[in-house]
Amino acid sequence: MLDFNMLLSKKGASALALTELSLKQINVQIANQLNTGLLILNANFDIVIWNRFLQIHADKVVDDIIGQSVFSIFPELPKSWLSRKLNSVLQLNTPSFCSWQQRHHLFELPHTRPITTDSEFMAQNCTFLPIEIDNGKKNICILIEDVTDVCHYQGQLQKALHELEQMSRIDGLTQIYNRKYWQESLDQEYAKAKRHSKSLSLIMLDLDHFKSLNDNYGHQGGDVVLMEVTAQVSKLLRLEDVFGRYGGEEFAIILPETDIAGAVNVANRICKHIANLNFNYQTQRIKVTASLGVAQASDEALSHEELITHADKALYQAKANGRNQVFSVLSNSTVTKN
Amino acid sequence: MKEFHLTEDQQDCLQELINIAMGQASDQLARYLDTFVYLKVPSIESVAAAELIKSLSQQQDTMAIVSQGFFANEGIRGEALLVYQEKDSGRIADLLGYEPGELSQDEQLIDISSILTTTFLNVFAQQIGNQMSYNAPKLLPSVQNNLSQHLQQMTFSWDLALKVNINYQVTDYSFNCNMILLIPGAAILNIKSVLDRILAEF
Repeated sequence: MLDFNMLLSKKGASALALTELSLKQINVQIANQLNTGLLILNANFDIVIWNRFLQIHADKVVDDIIGQSVFSIFPELPKSWLSRKLNSVLQLNTPSFCSWQQRHHLFELPHTRPITTDSEFMAQNCTFLPIEIDNGKKNICILIEDVTDVCHYQGQLQKALHELEQMSRIDGLTQIYNRKYWQESLDQEYAKAKRHSKSLSLIMLDLDHFKSLNDNYGHQGGDVVLMEVTAQVSKLLRLEDVFGRYGGEEFAIILPETDIAGAVNVANRICKHIANLNFNYQTQRIKVTASLGVAQASDEALSHEELITHADKALYQAKANGRNQVFSVLSNSTVTKN
Repeated sequence: MKEFHLTEDQQDCLQELINIAMGQASDQLARYLDTFVYLKVPSIESVAAAELIKSLSQQQDTMAIVSQGFFANEGIRGEALLVYQEKDSGRIADLLGYEPGELSQDEQLIDISSILTTTFLNVFAQQIGNQMSYNAPKLLPSVQNNLSQHLQQMTFSWDLALKVNINYQVTDYSFNCNMILLIPGAAILNIKSVLDRILAEF
């Protein structure tokens, strides 16, 4: 509120006819029109006084609360934690704070925008200030700010940011990761594997004769196949595998902590599974096969780009060998040497 | 830039004020926390903002930084940064006298920071016949990326700052943290005139 002594000592005070009484009136009126809760506790944490904001929101009768322990009037308060905090204010003579970001609210008060927010209670920023009244008696002033709006909009913002982040990672058609995010993941997984001396394998997958499939059934037929293949392949993968759309009908899978033998196993399973699938498009039944190239990162200091090149070469070899099959290569030897 | 640098007398005077404040603060903290709190003699230096950002961002093992703004009469203001490392922060709830599970790790860091900052600065303000007010302390999100961003977005702009580095140690709880008080350019001039006044009275 207003500083009596400071104001009364000012030269202009007498000219403005500012008296202690008029300053008191100003303070009382501000305190009762403030959109912030004011609650004064004594050193035993009994309520000394509160302002109109709290009286309205807490919906309690003044006569019943004055002189009562704050913990009996507001039983929702976390007693042992708050007592310790209030003690720090009294003992160290320092202010203390509690933000809605750590605790949504301390006092269970209703808020003024009940429809648009998801919380029942008013989100609060609380400040605990040491004050002295009646000749040095230590008291605590608790300020309770309504930050329901801030909390609400922060929540909306976080949600929107999360959705944006997801959207920027996902391929719109197939709902698996897009090439950009997949490559970032490879970068990270590659570094992780190197750091912890763990194996890491890569599968490149390309649907066979996809162009003629598009020609025969139209692009919508092709899209149905792409969506169904990715959904089916996803089911064959572990949670930690990273499955991305590399280009048109080409896909790539990062297999952390997997050696070449394990990766070839997975690739063979995927290859067989795709060949056995029947796609119903309009009245027609579509069959499709895939070629897969597998490579493993070696101990040698190859970059993750080179790992892609090796998997790509293996994929090319699978195609050259007649499609609908898996070809593997270790990244430290070339395809031709194999 | 030169007008921001402290003279030798001013530097000595500030050092002495801080030493006294540290003694009193450590006494108050020891009573409240019921354990011995050791404050290491601080270093006071002028730092360029860019340098400070660089050195803070480069501290690999920094786990968290809590920031709290402070302001007082005579244009004295600044920001306290409390810098924590993972290994020194395991028993803060214990140190503060809270039950385990009563508060999150974030809240523990914010709470202890606020207590250390306000206790010290209150005593320091008394030394110079002033009274300190504080903003609510804030945990800076994800230290590595956001520290420089945060420092650049601080409410006051500063190229040069007075950096007071104080180390807090509570050996019984293997607690250790660094408090860095940053006082921006314009406020340094105000501190200097306060120091000059004290030196004249002395």
